[in-house]
Amino acid sequence: MIDFARVQKELQECSRDVEASGIKVAPKSDNLGRLTGTIPGPVGTPYEGGTFQIDITLPDGYPFEPPKMQFATKVWHPNISSQSGAICLDILKDQWSPALTLKTALLSVQALLSTPEPGDPQDAVVAQQYLRDYQTFVGTARYWTETFAKTSSLGVEEKVQKLVEMGFPEALARSALESVGGDENLALEKLCSG
Amino acid sequence: MASEMEVPAELSSMFERHLRYRDLSLLLPFILGFTSNNTTEQRDPDQEAPQTTGSNERIILINPFTQGMVVIEGAASLESLLRDMGNKNGQPPASKASIEAMPKVEIGEDNKDGECAVCLEEWELGGAVKEMPCKHRFHGGCVEKWLKIHGNCPVCRYKMPVDEEELGKNIDEGEGEGERRVEREIWVSFAFNGSRRNGDSNENPSSDSSTED
Ligand SMILES: [Zn+2]
Ligand SMILES: [Zn+2]
Repeated sequence: MIDFARVQKELQECSRDVEASGIKVAPKSDNLGRLTGTIPGPVGTPYEGGTFQIDITLPDGYPFEPPKMQFATKVWHPNISSQSGAICLDILKDQWSPALTLKTALLSVQALLSTPEPGDPQDAVVAQQYLRDYQTFVGTARYWTETFAKTSSLGVEEKVQKLVEMGFPEALARSALESVGGDENLALEKLCSG
Repeated sequence: MASEMEVPAELSSMFERHLRYRDLSLLLPFILGFTSNNTTEQRDPDQEAPQTTGSNERIILINPFTQGMVVIEGAASLESLLRDMGNKNGQPPASKASIEAMPKVEIGEDNKDGECAVCLEEWELGGAVKEMPCKHRFHGGCVEKWLKIHGNCPVCRYKMPVDEEELGKNIDEGEGEGERRVEREIWVSFAFNGSRRNGDSNENPSSDSSTED
């Protein structure tokens, strides 16, 4: 019942301009009902430099029903569950339109990363932190990006280890890293100044 | 106080369906009780509900986050209530008449460029498409299927007329919807530890349950 012809067209269209958009959609298997989307973290946000994977499940009624999307990569954001990756976004719910596509939906998710709406939260804890202590929110979001959304960079454990080797207590090194979003140089600076 | 009420099985499955909508799930985390008929004498009736409907049903919803409780009187059924709420943001289906009234347009040499935004197929020379009042064109089958779910243009969200009869009296156009809900709702503040105190029974239009995003 899923309009697979349309899904095929979408995939072709999406792969055509993957260079420009950075947005990828790929089927998980031969079954086009389950796919994986990939979006780059927007520049100028705590998600910059990260690559975020999104699990996509197409309901039987697609495209008359919205695709189900959920972050597979852990992300710290008021409108995304830090536990499950569930996304609070109106176009994935009652504002869906069949003229939207997987690519435009993923673009909307990417835009959501740039413009959190803490007033309409999916994750109450994150939203509260965003509203009450924005700096800590940015630090945590960056730390999560660093830890979960970057595959190439040095792992957090290795960074902690490095700082410990420099003579800092492990707990302190860890919290310093977390507060600056995982940047080892900033963490070192902080440890030295504090 | 919930022990005396039972939630029918089909309600819970229906409820789960609606839980997909996050705002609804926040709004109605629990159905505490669902009672029907002759309920009027059970509870303190000092609420100034402007209209007491004949077949009185009462739905009690409890929100553990705010520790608030909503009692909804006179809802025709839970299903209509949830549909009502689900429609809060989603556009209701277009009326049959408005769907039938969409003109057919032939695809010829002069207008063959473009595609149907629903199925993404390009126009076929000699084919016929349907044109919405906003002038956006789709295959008849494609757009009609959508309009029977949500009565707006897939491209520009132009709103089609709604079938009043089908929607029943619960939904008016635009703001009337909100007003009606306020009429039926009694917001009761509720203390979890300790016995129930009858809270303010004023119909508070700013209660969580009637606000929109
Ligand atoms: Zn079509
Ligand atoms: Zn239109």
